[in-house]
Amino acid sequence: MTTGVYWPRPVEVVADGAGAPRSIAAVEVEAIREEWLVEDRWWTPKSLQRRYFEVVLVDGRSIVVFREPAEPPEAGRWFEQRA
Amino acid sequence: MLGRPLALAPQAGGPQVIGEVSGAAETFGVKPGMRLAEALGRCPALILIAADPVRSEAVAEQILRRLEAIGAAVEPGRPGEAFLAVEPLLGLYRTPERVLARARQALGAPARVGAGPTRLCAFTAARRMRARRPALVIGERVARRVVAELPVGILRERLGDEWERADVPETLERLGVRTLGELAALPATAVADRFGEPGMRALRMARGGDEPLLPRRPHEEIACDLALPEAASGQQLERALELLIERLLAHPARAGRTIRRLRVEAALAAGGGWRVEVTLRSASAAAERLALALAPKLAELPSPAKRLGLRAVELGPPGAGQMPLARSPEDERRGRLAEAVRQARATAGRDAVVRVLEVDPESRIPERRATLTPWNDR
Repeated sequence: MTTGVYWPRPVEVVADGAGAPRSIAAVEVEAIREEWLVEDRWWTPKSLQRRYFEVVLVDGRSIVVFREPAEPPEAGRWFEQRA
Repeated sequence: MLGRPLALAPQAGGPQVIGEVSGAAETFGVKPGMRLAEALGRCPALILIAADPVRSEAVAEQILRRLEAIGAAVEPGRPGEAFLAVEPLLGLYRTPERVLARARQALGAPARVGAGPTRLCAFTAARRMRARRPALVIGERVARRVVAELPVGILRERLGDEWERADVPETLERLGVRTLGELAALPATAVADRFGEPGMRALRMARGGDEPLLPRRPHEEIACDLALPEAASGQQLERALELLIERLLAHPARAGRTIRRLRVEAALAAGGGWRVEVTLRSASAAAERLALALAPKLAELPSPAKRLGLRAVELGPPGAGQMPLARSPEDERRGRLAEAVRQARATAGRDAVVRVLEVDPESRIPERRATLTPWNDR
């Protein structure tokens, strides 16, 4: 079994020039509640670097998304995750 | 790699003797079972490699299964070594030479095979076999002479216990007993007095005696393993073990039977492997009991692991004990829940019901906090 409860799911995000999400799955972002950076496994060849955003959408939902800026093939892709 | 002088390093907690050696190391006079100081004295450039018992056992298991596939009843020897009786296969393959040829073919990889009236003779024949030549068969008539000429050092590879292997041949050599023929000529009482049971076993071998073959019963493998995201230890490792226990209990080949003996295996991040076997006081299929017995063993792990495995070595009878006369409300509720799970599974498949198991609840990477594991109908 390879999937888990907190497994990230790819999501369509439009970001602004500073890299912050403006809309998620065609729903506009109302506000960014929190932003944090996770760096891990930097001592291995496959390091992990994620920029997380907890956002409130205009429809009232609160969700967490992150961008994987580090390595291809995930480089630049956005994911939604329960966090 | 084998062109360089290599030897398996002594195992932690065991005698300071080396394991198998490469051909290049043999040319320096370095032999398996030799004391480390002597081996380094003979070959200062000797490269010591950490033993990986888990991997070598996996390869050994593969060898046994391939031999069983030709119809042989196989007795496992040391890792990478197997004994089989040739006579029962003569009906299929006609001659001992053909049996050996078939065994060699079944093994696939280059292997040394040989036959003889005792394990020691077969071992010697295999050792003397040359690449691309037919396997050697030592017949009854020459067996006694062949054994008599063998150096006592060969006991390093034939005695059961690693301490016996280190002590008995060395003491014999120090006492001036150089060959098995010389050992065979010694009075049994004197050998028993000086060496005890290991000495008597060596004497039986030297006099051409052997115990009957003890073939293992071919069995279905009930095992599972888990790659750890990074070198793991402590609580994370315990969680991984819980997950493995759940998976092992959910293994279809278990077929409701309880587990009597288990083996925990680990591939270490620093290289090499580690394993430990645990026998339960009474066979059980309760995850809590298995975890209670196994978790303390994780503290013996010499360094962080990158892979953890769990194997059911011996199974017990089906069921988990006698049912009580009256069931508590909690048991009643559990029973109903289990029935609901069975129904959901019957309708939507085996993976329809899973359990969330916390692995590393404090992890900054959310997907590492929990995982889904099969639900057991307990």
